[in-house]
Amino acid sequence: MDAFLQRTLLRQPSALPGFGLSFGIMVTLLSLVVLIPIAALLLFGASVGPAELWRVVNTERVWLALWLSFRISLYAALVNLVMGVILAWVLTRYRFPGRRILDAAVDLPFALPTAVAGIALTTLYAPRGAFGEFFAAWDIKVAYTEWGIFLALLFVGLPFVVRTVQPVIEEIEQEVEEASATLGASRARTLRKVILPMILPAALTGFALALARAVGEYGSVIFIAGNLPLRTEIAPLLIVIRLEEFNYAAAAAIAIAMLTISFAMLLVINGIQIWSRRRIGLV
Amino acid sequence: MHIEIDEIAKSFGTTAALHPVSLAIPSGALIALLGPSGSGKTTLLRVLGGLEFPTSGRVLFDGDDATGLTVQDRRAGFVFQNYALFRHMTVFENVAYGLRARPRRTRPPEAEIVRRVEKLLDLIQLPGIGTRYPNQLSGGQRQRVALARALAIEPRMLLLDEPFGALDAKVRKELRGNLRHIHDATGLTTVFVTHDQDEAMELADLVVVMSMGRIEQVGKPADIRARPKTDFVRGFITA
Amino acid sequence: MSDVSLSAPARPFRAATTEAPWIKWALIALSVAFLALMVFAPLLAVFIEALQDGLWVALETLGERDARSAIWLTLTVAAIAVPLNAAFGLAAAWCIAKYDFRGKAFLITLIDLPFSVSPVVAGLCIVLTFGANSAIGGWLVDNGYPIVFALPGIVLATMFVTFPFVARELIPVMIEQGRADEEAALTLGATGWRTFRTVTLPNVKWALLYGVLLCNARAMGEFGAVAVVSGKIRGQTATMPLQIEMFYQEYLSVAAFTMAGLLAFLALVTLLLKTLLELRFADQIAATHRQH
Repeated sequence: MDAFLQRTLLRQPSALPGFGLSFGIMVTLLSLVVLIPIAALLLFGASVGPAELWRVVNTERVWLALWLSFRISLYAALVNLVMGVILAWVLTRYRFPGRRILDAAVDLPFALPTAVAGIALTTLYAPRGAFGEFFAAWDIKVAYTEWGIFLALLFVGLPFVVRTVQPVIEEIEQEVEEASATLGASRARTLRKVILPMILPAALTGFALALARAVGEYGSVIFIAGNLPLRTEIAPLLIVIRLEEFNYAAAAAIAIAMLTISFAMLLVINGIQIWSRRRIGLV
Repeated sequence: MHIEIDEIAKSFGTTAALHPVSLAIPSGALIALLGPSGSGKTTLLRVLGGLEFPTSGRVLFDGDDATGLTVQDRRAGFVFQNYALFRHMTVFENVAYGLRARPRRTRPPEAEIVRRVEKLLDLIQLPGIGTRYPNQLSGGQRQRVALARALAIEPRMLLLDEPFGALDAKVRKELRGNLRHIHDATGLTTVFVTHDQDEAMELADLVVVMSMGRIEQVGKPADIRARPKTDFVRGFITA
Repeated sequence: MSDVSLSAPARPFRAATTEAPWIKWALIALSVAFLALMVFAPLLAVFIEALQDGLWVALETLGERDARSAIWLTLTVAAIAVPLNAAFGLAAAWCIAKYDFRGKAFLITLIDLPFSVSPVVAGLCIVLTFGANSAIGGWLVDNGYPIVFALPGIVLATMFVTFPFVARELIPVMIEQGRADEEAALTLGATGWRTFRTVTLPNVKWALLYGVLLCNARAMGEFGAVAVVSGKIRGQTATMPLQIEMFYQEYLSVAAFTMAGLLAFLALVTLLLKTLLELRFADQIAATHRQH
């Protein structure tokens, strides 16, 4: 088996043993945990048939849920794009007391379970919560509205842009910024024309990751969203509702629609990235 | 332009990079700051370029105090050790950068910018290279593009930090002649930093030997060779 | 020029590579405010709500039957899923970093796949594969091995969601280290397994720990995927995050927030260890590759 794998797959014969074993473990686990389940979803979708899938998806409730999910995710990812670049800049370029704590805090949304974030944000922004009261005075409702969904998605997507952009900022050579200044450019112009284009590919990667995460997010959103059909019901929640009704066809249809749209978005953004990387010759 | 360095000192924290040094650079000269690493030669160059602010002392350009002049206002054409070309811009955009950065009042019209950039690319003997990106160029080509970019702002002086440091021996020889040619063609006061005494002796009108933040000797290459003033200079140029 | 000559340093010198101080401090203030509102405030809210009736009341809620079984289940799931993912990560990193084979790029894309799939969709996939209605699932149920609405399903869902974590940390580190060390060991007569144990593993131990740490935090906190496959049977298939949801919906605020506080505490410890690892072993964990 090992010899067969080596012969068919390896480009170069290797002196290191264990190719067959490691390849086997990797492919087996990958198949069992990820590939077979995803294939099962697609097969199930195929067995239901495109016409039926379309019939199930093509309802006002589903379209509104998908539209809500992608729209609010986009807003949250955009704000995270801007704030992420600012945070990455502040954390790598400035020295100030408490910087390390801020740096560590950026990762909290990765580490904190989404359900915990969900109930915490809801408590804060509910009409009688600490922040909710403040907004209520201005007659703004945050929790149980689109604003609540936006906040939760902002929270879960927060680390992505920061963490992709930080290493790029660290690698910008000081000489490049100095060169711009010696050529007469103001600091603002240097930031706009030299530094921003350099961090843009990484920022877009982070944006895409934040967007993908936000679109699929469930745990933190359901607590704060209010979950009103047609109003504040996100697509993943609708999948769960259909599943609880044992309506597998409808659940699968929405899931396939979500997968399709997310992959299309990732493809477009990856395309932009490859293009810009090739142009400036970053690895 | 005549440059005068008047008792310039620079310290970083408690370590002194430059003890007060004074030096007059005659207009139109090509001079070399020669010394080992840590001798303060790069710091002195950066003070001239406005990238470093001296702890004390003055810099005079044509007799006027330029110490407080910002980098942007200095109009010093600076060539960095690793060239610091903008990777996301074409060669043309790199060279045009300084002209486009000017305030609208003094910015030449686009057609004029194109004309000037093309003229500079001719001067560095790389015509027709404008549409390429820096990562598509060889080391020697990058160095010349960096030179053209520095010249585009119509600088009052040319400052080069180890301009041949990152090149292999053959290209290095070739580009020395190139720098001499550009200096003669533009007549700019030119200061370059090097740790290579052959390079300094062959290329410069005047060599400034530095060590430990002090100027050891200033003189014509032949004089320094014939009459080294200190043990350090003697050791360094025969090494 | 003469107008400049008379006014020595007109404005204080600022290095060419920094912003004006007011911009710098404004950006710092904005960052602090943003993180205070988005991160510190929710964290604080968890502990304040948990302790509203005092520490003793809070701790007592953890001793109740449902709470205890949720904690136990979560620990069990993590104890199975995390080592399996670590094994996968080691195998995948070894295979990808040490050999040059056809289809490598495609395989890396597949490993990253779970990042772009919604946890809910992941859960649904597992229900469709192993649920009682599917061919495999039906057979397993008939033979007394239910997957969905039972521990194996929860483990699978957790593994799916956290699948790439360890591999992603290890792959760049192992690629960077190349295979010279292993080849040296082999020429000295070590067997393949011995080489892996005595050369490769020590070289990547901190990166492995780093990946396991992140994987564990996510595994214990996973909600969406587990919610779909668990059936949320009280005292049996409710993990800590699911139990938090139940408490919360029953208005058992102290119980919900105490369990949330326990998970938040775990998250803080994870971050602390992560920061320490980054400070201490920055060169041995792919520090430039900190995206998850």
